[in-house]
Amino acid sequence: MAEVERKKRLADYGLHSERLLMRRKEPGVFERELGDLEDKLMLTTLEKAVAWAQGHSIWPDTFGLACCAMEMIAIVSPRYDVARFGAEVFRSSPRQADLLIVSGRVAHKMAKPLRQIYDQMLEPKWVIAMGACASSGGMFGNYAILQGVDKIVPVDIHVPGCPPRPEALLEGIVRLQEKVIAGVPPAYEIREVAS
Amino acid sequence: MHVSWETVPGFLHEREEHGETTIVVELERLGEAALHLRDELGFNFLADVAATDYLGWNERPVAGYWGSGTGRDINRPGSWGLARKPEPRPERFSVSYHLLKLAAGAREAPRVRLQVWCEDGDPVPSLISVWPTADWHEREAWDMMGIRIEGHPNLTRILMEEDWEGHPLRKDYPLGGEPVRFSSEE
Amino acid sequence: MAVVERAKIYEGTRIPSPIPTVLRVDPALREEGDILQVNFGPNHPSTHGVLRLIVDLNGEQVVGLEAVVGYLHTGFEKNMEQKTWWKAITYPARIDYLSFQYNELVFVLAIEKLLEVQPPEKATWMRMLLCELNRIHSHLIWLGTGALEIGAISMLWYCFRERDAVLDLFELVAGTRMHTRYFQTGGLAEDIPPGFFTECRKFVDYFPRRIDEYEAILDRQQIWLERTRGLGLLSADDAIALGQTGPVLRASGVEWDLRKVEPYLAYDQVDFNIPVYENGDVYDRYKVHMDEMRESTRIVQQCLDGMPEGPWIVDDRKIVLPPRDELHTSMESLIHHFKLVTEGYRVPAGEVYVAVESARGELGCYVVSDGGPRPWRVKFRAPSFVALEATATCMSDALVADLIAIVGSLDTVMGEVDR
Repeated sequence: MAEVERKKRLADYGLHSERLLMRRKEPGVFERELGDLEDKLMLTTLEKAVAWAQGHSIWPDTFGLACCAMEMIAIVSPRYDVARFGAEVFRSSPRQADLLIVSGRVAHKMAKPLRQIYDQMLEPKWVIAMGACASSGGMFGNYAILQGVDKIVPVDIHVPGCPPRPEALLEGIVRLQEKVIAGVPPAYEIREVAS
Repeated sequence: MHVSWETVPGFLHEREEHGETTIVVELERLGEAALHLRDELGFNFLADVAATDYLGWNERPVAGYWGSGTGRDINRPGSWGLARKPEPRPERFSVSYHLLKLAAGAREAPRVRLQVWCEDGDPVPSLISVWPTADWHEREAWDMMGIRIEGHPNLTRILMEEDWEGHPLRKDYPLGGEPVRFSSEE
Repeated sequence: MAVVERAKIYEGTRIPSPIPTVLRVDPALREEGDILQVNFGPNHPSTHGVLRLIVDLNGEQVVGLEAVVGYLHTGFEKNMEQKTWWKAITYPARIDYLSFQYNELVFVLAIEKLLEVQPPEKATWMRMLLCELNRIHSHLIWLGTGALEIGAISMLWYCFRERDAVLDLFELVAGTRMHTRYFQTGGLAEDIPPGFFTECRKFVDYFPRRIDEYEAILDRQQIWLERTRGLGLLSADDAIALGQTGPVLRASGVEWDLRKVEPYLAYDQVDFNIPVYENGDVYDRYKVHMDEMRESTRIVQQCLDGMPEGPWIVDDRKIVLPPRDELHTSMESLIHHFKLVTEGYRVPAGEVYVAVESARGELGCYVVSDGGPRPWRVKFRAPSFVALEATATCMSDALVADLIAIVGSLDTVMGEVDR
């Protein structure tokens, strides 16, 4: 029986984050490490299917704090459409959300509600620390701001910028997707919170 | 302004610089002064309440050239590069009330700064009965600077947590934060 | 179709006492009724940031309200005291993160007032142009998120499409979308790049039609009218007593805009109107925002037409870096550059208060300088901080379904409230 000639689809080029823009780029550090991990993890087909489904439908929680929240809302906008990655449904209730995008500076007063929201989310759950303030306290090295949310929640992806462009946040989400699809467990299974 | 500020109860002195008028009144008569300003002189709008801590003022002299569009003014000692200290302040804290005469359709906005000076722990009368908007501003002055407002119905912390100790914007309160660790150091 | 009778603005005062900002439950009601205390926030579906409202409900009616803020307190003022004047300019933009250039503007104007330096005409007009674009940006986000909360979800996509167009202009002129940090003491940080004026003109040409589109969607839509008319009433006297400015004050019938009354920059040389509406409810605040967007477009057009030529920053080497090519030849330039970069310029001792009309109202900056290279005290008068004081007054006779609409109409940005 003759083999049907399949047209090259986007998936065949590999929907890898760095090669969305630069087609002929060699695999970068992220891709190589992820490839190694994928080989080591040796997931079964069922686990791979589940991971593929989970990765392509990560629903974020509406956790906008400050300026980064504006760019987070911008990824929903028609130009930077996050719906094409499956993540356009921002759930207001943490019980229905998979992803917590901490967008903005976290004051010490807000740290307790942040941890409560994280605890209310059901596993598996992922955290993206968006922006400089969420990753490390940003430009505010003072008494009021938590110097990095990885002190209270385990973080999967840090997105740099002040604020990061919507494309940068999208890259963060795409890399998270790739991590999930490769089978890397969420951060709470790998590491403790930073000290 | 053409108004004579002598009529304000508790008036001590006035300053006029950069086009702004500052009138300093006695701390005890602040309530009367505020009522006078609102009712007699027509300042019906309180824009801001700013508390300032002058601990450490006037200890280090500051030297240097101060640029101006027209060049250096050789009559000012500071413009030669010699060290100068700013004028000493009478007490540690100043509370400045920025007032505005707001009239619909008006074409000018007379402003004045009502200022009182106090030490740590001196009670400052609350101006909620004069301008209700002073509520949260006074709570912030208490929270950030430790200015004890007397007569405020709800003097609790507003920006910091309820059980926070210390008043962050004071000059003897440390900035906080933590030292940055670089990955090459470990 | 029956139209709900629109509630009229009230006589007298509705400011609660003894605490003006807290609506207390009537004790008689507490005994006979079934009061439920609900906690809104700090994380809640409404997109207004981390505001916490403790609401007492009697059935559907709001009978008690208290706003708790401080969940975004960043310690801006203390951080700015540790930086030199030049480096401190990066901080204010993050205070009101929707109209970021207004914060930079007010701080830079305060420094210039203390230094007694006047920036060149081109810088003044460019600042005015960028600030009006920023006002449009802020109102677009307000409209998009406000309509989203009331239920007109599609407005979010329309408004954010335009918002991206405005941010493209900012990126063209300053290199980054938000928090541009383009204003410098004495003028602008850099010259205006070529191509900006053509792009800006294109935006200004098509934008009024977009505002017409938004008004066509919302203005006479029955659900929008029922959800915004007669709600959140605030009379003119109460608004002045509570320190309101900006669109909230203008929607309550008071004609007051700092751009007309106390013109700063070059506002006395451009022609624009101030929208004033009398009913003091959410619908009127919406109308004020829409009209202000149109007026801002007119101002931007006039700025484009009347943009003067000339330098973009003042020539005083004591506060402004010399051009780089001079560093190779002139010893004085080298020394000035060194002193400015390491130590920073010194601002004469004194205190000033500068106020501008930001998208939310009177944004003020009180600066105290001791003559040194760092600010001694910087305090920002945030219009949203004061607007939240009015929630208790606006919320008398409100239902819980209107709570978010009313808080949204006050146009608060929590970064400003908590600083």
